[in-house]
Amino acid sequence: MTPIIEMQKVTKAYHGAPAIRDIDFDLRPGEIHALLGENGAGKSTLTKIMAGVVEPTAGRMLYRGQPVQFATPSQALAAGIAMVFQETSLVPSMTVAQNLYLGSESFLNRLRGVYISAQQFLQSLNFPVDPTATVASLGTAKRQMVEIARAVKHNAAVIIFDEPTSSLTPEEKRHFFALMGRLKQRGVSIVFISHALEEALAHSDRITILRDGERVVTDDTARFDRDSVIRAMVGRSLSTEIYKARRTANQLRPRGEMALSVQDISMSNVVRNNSFSIYDGQITGVFGLIGSGRTETFKIVAGIYKRDFLHGGAVELRGRPVRYRVPAPAVKDGIVYVTEDRKTEGFFETMSIAENLYSGLLAAGLNKAALVSRREMRALAAEWRGKLNIRAITDNAKVIELSGGNQQKVVIGKGLVQKPRVVIFDEPTRGVDVGAIAEIHHFINQLADDGLAVVVISSYLPEIMNLSDRILVCRQGRIVEELSPEDATEEKIMYAAVH
Amino acid sequence: MRLDSLLDWFRGQAVTIPPMDGALRPNTALDDGAAELLEAAAPDNLAASGGQVFYSSGHDLLRLPAYGEAGPAVVARCEAPVSAVACGPDGAVAIGLDDGRILLKDGTLDGRTLGPAEFGGLACPTALAFGAAGTLFVCQGSSAHRPSDWVVDLMSKNACGSVWRVDLAAGRCERLAGELAFPYGILPDAAGGVVVAESWRHRLLRVKPGSGIEPVLTKLPGYPARLAAGADGGAWLCLFAPRNRLIEFVLEEEAYRADMMREVAREYWIAPALSSGAQFLEPLQCGGVKTMGIHKPWSPTRSYGLLVRLDRNLRPVASFHSRANGRRHGITSALERDGRVLVTSKGGNAILGLAVLP
Repeated sequence: MTPIIEMQKVTKAYHGAPAIRDIDFDLRPGEIHALLGENGAGKSTLTKIMAGVVEPTAGRMLYRGQPVQFATPSQALAAGIAMVFQETSLVPSMTVAQNLYLGSESFLNRLRGVYISAQQFLQSLNFPVDPTATVASLGTAKRQMVEIARAVKHNAAVIIFDEPTSSLTPEEKRHFFALMGRLKQRGVSIVFISHALEEALAHSDRITILRDGERVVTDDTARFDRDSVIRAMVGRSLSTEIYKARRTANQLRPRGEMALSVQDISMSNVVRNNSFSIYDGQITGVFGLIGSGRTETFKIVAGIYKRDFLHGGAVELRGRPVRYRVPAPAVKDGIVYVTEDRKTEGFFETMSIAENLYSGLLAAGLNKAALVSRREMRALAAEWRGKLNIRAITDNAKVIELSGGNQQKVVIGKGLVQKPRVVIFDEPTRGVDVGAIAEIHHFINQLADDGLAVVVISSYLPEIMNLSDRILVCRQGRIVEELSPEDATEEKIMYAAVH
Repeated sequence: MRLDSLLDWFRGQAVTIPPMDGALRPNTALDDGAAELLEAAAPDNLAASGGQVFYSSGHDLLRLPAYGEAGPAVVARCEAPVSAVACGPDGAVAIGLDDGRILLKDGTLDGRTLGPAEFGGLACPTALAFGAAGTLFVCQGSSAHRPSDWVVDLMSKNACGSVWRVDLAAGRCERLAGELAFPYGILPDAAGGVVVAESWRHRLLRVKPGSGIEPVLTKLPGYPARLAAGADGGAWLCLFAPRNRLIEFVLEEEAYRADMMREVAREYWIAPALSSGAQFLEPLQCGGVKTMGIHKPWSPTRSYGLLVRLDRNLRPVASFHSRANGRRHGITSALERDGRVLVTSKGGNAILGLAVLP
């Protein structure tokens, strides 16, 4: 069978440093091909070459047996190759329907017709998205759905999904994989990048694993298991390191002093009479589906959102009532929120690692010099790059040039330079490879061992069950259940989160 | 926060219910970890004298069966429902009745009765405890209602209860503290004072004769009932019902509450209860109690079972729960004895035994 896409000895170098080297890759018609590797392994670069986002430095690409070199994504799209990016490329101020039809509008458009057609199309994909809503008003998951719908709409022969499920709920994931199956039946070839290895193992036909810019292996999925995938990705077995066996009672950290007491806080109908406490020296895991109000709750605590003016509840920090209207006083009081949406809220992407870390220090007012001090900035960057093992060529590397895992470490570092006493991690390992996951988990554990009150919000159950000393389950804007990791099961947690 | 304290004048202070976590983290210890020692009709107050354990149930004071005995024995049958019981060091038993009287049985003052007149007309003995050298401490829950009308007292938002010390030998009654919101539990301390559970204000107070009252444990997530001494110098605190948002809301809504109290049968009020779920007419909060045939343990409930172990400083260190889907609700009394704690589940019609771990 002639591959629909064939990459031959493809190399791409940035400023002389190769991101991928001599990679051979083929995609067969109607197959789902999972592309796996740590952050920085070169998955995104390889797929960006396929989609015309970047041009290769060496090597060639064949499409339907013909050599091609796409200069722009629109050329690739016209040829039938669409890419769904991890960070969506939608226009926030336009409606969902307008985004779907962007670039394929008629000379005269009847808005009502566009909405009806978009509605029918979204329903056919089982995506519950209102076509008249502006993209800016949608959450991450729904934006991802619109992005996927747009690729499907262009009748592409090849669709490349870059981390498509990272922000979807379990039910939305089921819909997504059913959709992928339907596309496959229609003969569409799919390249599927994911850090959730189970998804790749369950839904792909073949797997290619990259490491350090080189191809390690390509084989039928049936020949892989979780351990062999991880070994190939990182060169060692990390599976037991990241997701250990169930912890017993004496492995859990004891409860320290009450750091935070949240009582009946409310914000519109998103957070409703939510009450819980957070203790020093423990990791409190917060699980909830998207829309359960978990992120909003902790954003209220950190002063990013404001709770209701009337009957908004109470927050006590070490017994002292607090009501933050902006994050600055919360930071000064030692509360740090590490965002789930690092690209929008986590860092200044065109600034360097050092500048980003230093901005955290400035925000907390902990800088020693009265004016911005380059020396202090460099020292800070050196210290935290070492602590967090941030891999970059120099401290002056722009954050946007880093891999997802290293970007996440910068965001974490930016928060921790503020010397917090309460740290809230929101999806700390979303879009992060297994190697970096292990490092981040180790770091989070260390913070709790050092006596800090740590909150980990996650929608990935194994992460919650392995990291947490206590597990809170959020549903419809409030904590409905608290479980101990020793008696929690995935079924119990999910039941509480859903019902 | 300065601005908030100013704004609270206009918008009203937030009424919040503290979360049940930390030492109060929910579990199913009262349902799964406690042995049912005896099935009894609404057992209420436990007390011990010598080797015997007594409990009240309706109009009766009964003795728990000793090893080899077939069942409980009725010790006294009263004219009114028994509302409180205490045993003294000399074998005396004080029995508070729903009509306001306190009967003294056995001991040196056998047959003596303290009437409402001796307490300034108060007729609501909710808890009794013998102190040192012939004194009896009495909680009078309310000046407006009888003990069995506690729910009316709560819904009326009364704070007219008081704590008294009775010198039994001299027959003198002295009021130690007044204007309390339904004192429902009492525990004498070594310094001659008492610790009192003030139900409607969800807190414990220390009452010292001559030096006023001092809150020692506040912001409880339920309504505290009786206190019992722990063998380790701490205490056991019973909470007979949980606080919940709906009830707090109704307590804020004067007109609604007045209408409800006037027009709805008492057992269907939106109010705390000792047991719930028996009648479909009972109020629910937001529905969502059962899904896929499973009664959700975290669903909103009017009744709950909660026993809290307190340390010497009266800080909670452990708790034992019967959750929304449990049966052993309405915990009103506890008694530690021989390495285990006996508990009355008034709503669950049972006396339970829990092993006490160090």
